[in-house]
Amino acid sequence: MHELYEKLKQYYPLGELTEQRNNLAFITLKQEQLRPVLLHLRDKENYTHLVILTAVDWIEDNCFQLTYLLSNRTNATDIGLRLMIPREDATMESIHDIWPTAATYQRELREMFGIDFPDSPRVNDDFILEGWNDIPPYRRDFNTLKFSEETFAQRPGRETVDPAEHMKQKLYPDGA
Amino acid sequence: MSIQPKKSIRDLLSPFTAWKNILRNPVTIRDPLNDRPGSARYRGFHKNDIEKCIGCGTCEAICQNAAIDMLPVEGVETKDGDSGLRPRIDYGRCCWCALCVDVCMTRSLTMSNEYKWVESDPDAFRFTPGVDKKFWDNAELGYNRPEEHHLVAQERVEMQEMDVESRIDSFAEIVHGYSLEEAKLEADRCVACGLCIATCPTHMSIPEYINAVREGDYEKGLKLLYETNPFSNVCGRVCTRKCESVCASRHEGEPIAIRWLKRHIIDQVPHEKYREIIGDPKPATGKKIAIIGAGPAGLTAAFDLVRMGHEVIVYEAKAKAGGMTRYGIPEYRLPYDALDRDIDTIVSMGVQIVYNTRIGADISMEQLTQDFDAVLLAIGLQEGRQTRIPQSDHEKVYRAVDLLDKITTGEAFDLPHCAVIIGGGNVAMDIARSIARLQKQQYGQVDVILTAMEEQQHFMADADEIKEALEEGIIIQDQCGPQGCEIDKSGKLIGLKTWKVLSIFDSKKRFAPQYDDGEETIHACDTVIEAIGQFSDVSLLGDDLTEKLEWDRGRIQVDSEGRTSESWLWSAGDCVNGPDVVHAVADGHRVANSIHAYLSEDSLVS
Amino acid sequence: MAYQPDRSQYPQKKADGSLDIDLTSGKYLKLWQGPQHPGITGNMSVELTVCGDEVVEGITHVGYLHRGFEKLMERRTFIQCFPIVCRICVPEPDFNEYCYAAAVEELAGIEAPEYANWIRTLILEMGRINSYLMYLGGQAGSFGMGVISQWTTYVRDLMLDRFEELTGARIYHMFILPGGVRDRLPEGFAQRMEETLCEIESTMSDVYDTMYCNAVFKKRSVGVGIIDVDLMDSYGVTGPNARAGGVAKDVRIDQPYLVYPELEFEAILGEDSDIYTRADVRRKDLLQSVDLVRQILAKMPKEGSLMAKIPSVMHWKIPRGETYVRGECSRGEYGYYLVTDGSGYPRRVNVRGPSYTHAMALLERMIVNLNIADVAGLMVSLHTYPPEIER
Ligand code: SF4
Ligand code: SF4
Repeated sequence: MHELYEKLKQYYPLGELTEQRNNLAFITLKQEQLRPVLLHLRDKENYTHLVILTAVDWIEDNCFQLTYLLSNRTNATDIGLRLMIPREDATMESIHDIWPTAATYQRELREMFGIDFPDSPRVNDDFILEGWNDIPPYRRDFNTLKFSEETFAQRPGRETVDPAEHMKQKLYPDGA
Repeated sequence: MSIQPKKSIRDLLSPFTAWKNILRNPVTIRDPLNDRPGSARYRGFHKNDIEKCIGCGTCEAICQNAAIDMLPVEGVETKDGDSGLRPRIDYGRCCWCALCVDVCMTRSLTMSNEYKWVESDPDAFRFTPGVDKKFWDNAELGYNRPEEHHLVAQERVEMQEMDVESRIDSFAEIVHGYSLEEAKLEADRCVACGLCIATCPTHMSIPEYINAVREGDYEKGLKLLYETNPFSNVCGRVCTRKCESVCASRHEGEPIAIRWLKRHIIDQVPHEKYREIIGDPKPATGKKIAIIGAGPAGLTAAFDLVRMGHEVIVYEAKAKAGGMTRYGIPEYRLPYDALDRDIDTIVSMGVQIVYNTRIGADISMEQLTQDFDAVLLAIGLQEGRQTRIPQSDHEKVYRAVDLLDKITTGEAFDLPHCAVIIGGGNVAMDIARSIARLQKQQYGQVDVILTAMEEQQHFMADADEIKEALEEGIIIQDQCGPQGCEIDKSGKLIGLKTWKVLSIFDSKKRFAPQYDDGEETIHACDTVIEAIGQFSDVSLLGDDLTEKLEWDRGRIQVDSEGRTSESWLWSAGDCVNGPDVVHAVADGHRVANSIHAYLSEDSLVS
Repeated sequence: MAYQPDRSQYPQKKADGSLDIDLTSGKYLKLWQGPQHPGITGNMSVELTVCGDEVVEGITHVGYLHRGFEKLMERRTFIQCFPIVCRICVPEPDFNEYCYAAAVEELAGIEAPEYANWIRTLILEMGRINSYLMYLGGQAGSFGMGVISQWTTYVRDLMLDRFEELTGARIYHMFILPGGVRDRLPEGFAQRMEETLCEIESTMSDVYDTMYCNAVFKKRSVGVGIIDVDLMDSYGVTGPNARAGGVAKDVRIDQPYLVYPELEFEAILGEDSDIYTRADVRRKDLLQSVDLVRQILAKMPKEGSLMAKIPSVMHWKIPRGETYVRGECSRGEYGYYLVTDGSGYPRRVNVRGPSYTHAMALLERMIVNLNIADVAGLMVSLHTYPPEIER
């Protein structure tokens, strides 16, 4: 994988390489390098299969990581391209023209993370959610527990006691 | 454009072979409700052995469906090591993943292979296994965690120690303490149930400070320690760790090394920072308290009272503070600098200690009552008990505490070439191991015999102490009842005579030893050391006060807050409770609160 | 033969490229297949626009499950995630358990013991068999052969019995956990498994006679629903869907995991890439899995350790890292992308189920110009399980 990285590096400015296994590596790159590198990998290096396209919310760094995982069946290796985009007004160029199936991923990312992919087919159509008007739910700042507590009724009658607290009440209520 | 299937006669006839099934018996189970038990390891309805369950709530913590509540149950008592709570499961949420069964600290929680349960009341599906009787309670089959499948490590992280060769001629500390990684690993084993807190005499917030170790936030850890224990340096090394005896992890493995984790926190924070982490005392109240004895109880009370804003003067008869922790515990277990750090911290809070001042001799009790608003007696147990066996008044018969004192202060004494110790407690181990070290240093070999009435597995001493003593070459002879010292014609002590002990207590649990005098042993030696307990010297009180106070079998009688029958006088520590550092600390807190309440009340009145 | 959607006659395209469908023209009819419809796989629906009995447009809708597992896992410790992953794919849950466990192990630097890996492989192959049996019932049913689903349900139930005695549960096994597996094979398991396998083989021979050698089935499936080989990669097609077109994609062979290197088998391929070929590849796959189960039971060590030493689970933290782990499930590539951040919780889990690509973009493309009666047949032939789309 290292060889390929060196080779790519001759053409494109690349970031860090992480060799996770001997058949899986991740490469960090800049937003604008994505398309040329994707095309290069697909057309020249046999990475023809887009395995996943997904996002990770690094809210503390105020960015989203996009991961494009490509697979090369002839030598059974995978490359993950990861790039960081700012969280505010997150937008990324669509790649549905390279892999039509990317449209589905991008639609989901639009809905779940609020990342826009202008020109991606039906990118603004509801995917899983219907009439959602909260923040995109896969963002880290969306609190699922709070949402479910506010949205759904809880069956009454649940209560629990903390063992240490209970023992204090029973055995040494005055704290000494 | 599309491919057309090839026509074949077979494709027309072959489907009719399905008709052969007309002759086949149905495969359906006729009565699935009764004829279809779940498999032997089926994860069906829960069972809980409530005698075994300790109510630790680990099952509740791991349940990702939040299906478990911990609730008090009638007939289950809250006691040391058992919260008295039992898990109630909500089958509206449970997914039968059995993580609760896998993690259960006692293996009390299991599953039956039963999977059918009909009820018209939906709330019935919220039930307490083992308490609410169910028809599957006695099911033999069902999921039970396989023996080798553990979600929590069972063995504690081993403590690095000095080996026997390097420690036997040295008083250097034996235990090295955990490294950061070791401490984190050990801390990870804690399930944070908090059952230990109630048992700890001073109720330290154990799970919280262990969490601080896990997070590497040692300053927070230290702050937590000092909230309940100003003798954390001492307790981190020599605490009797009652907490570990009730740790949930002990049921299926070894208890968490709570004491070593406490020590680890202490070791990580530079001493200069303590004062700042603990914080400043409250504004001065103008009240004055005298404390007699600068041991753990006295100094803990002093520490608390000073932080509450009172002025405290501690009178100590000896040249240094610490009481038994200094003059009783050998250095290889508790280095003096560790103790000094604790005392230094207490003094830095504003506690004044007046050394070499004996109340009753240098200052009278009356004087104290006049000069102070309250007085606390925390004099400890400084006098060794004697066996009073024949000829034990020989000059070569010593009390262990006296010798330990001499070893600490460096006062010279005749180091025995061959010593026999009487006693099976920690003090006996302390003196035996100290003598052994000195012998190794001065004579090049160890010759110490330790005799005790109990069987070795019932010794009062810690198992570790016994193990290490044996490693160091001390000979232990158990079930030996001392009968007299042997003295030769020239008046030299030459041995201790013992008889084999058949039983120690009578049927009413009273001390009434039975011996087999046929099995008599003479343990040859030049010195006998008695280590059978201590008592307080209360002569300082003076006759009048002694007369006025109420007594309980030789000890000053106190109430649950440490008050004596005199309103201005409290008593605390070993002289009230018997020997134990952390108990003394707890007692110190208790009387400090009581004194504080008394003084506050007082000021309201005036 | 290449699949060419024929839009020469209708509907016209608008300037922006979208279809000009005027529902008031009387020429078109919109109808929903699903979410409750016997001809749909699971909880999804296809919004069809038909002209006569020909589909001119089909749009897949998911969202009837609303579970958000990936998000739920971000709020659960590494051990707490273990019981929920299986729910992402009901008929073949074990791949979730395996991929999740393998990803966690990789990032935590743990190696599952050899014996556990044999049991894991066994379970995965058992799961594949069951998934194919379920598919067969559906595929036959969608072409009107209801009896076959009864036969396959019966033998699938026998396999569920084996699952039950091995794992303690029939559907959600919750047996493969990070570090290893929960328990060893029960006494006499191989014997009972052999009986089950024989029963499956005999049923499969009946299925072969009544379904595969059936003029009606052939008439409706041969040459129908062809996936163009050129589309395979651009639409992320994997598994039997790809292999039926001669594309030799099988993770077990391409990137062998667990104990597959020690088993003897080859990728099963077809040529025509139509519904019939896919069904045939799956049938052979199923029989291959039967053989693999036999191989595993014969070759696996009799004893061994079940679990590697794992950190105490109540405070298990994993250093920052990311990885992707895949396996070959009955429908193709199943994978887990796991990102950790040094805390006690996954930072992100992304599940790649094969249905994600098969049932959305690919189906929408293939459904055009299909006869409405074949929609169900086509959908089933892509072998999709909607829960893994929504996750
Ligand atoms: S079986 Fe699983 S879901 Fe049910 S109570 Fe136990 S941990 Fe919770
Ligand atoms: S984990 Fe076990 S011992 Fe602890 S409360 Fe639950 S059932 Fe009882």
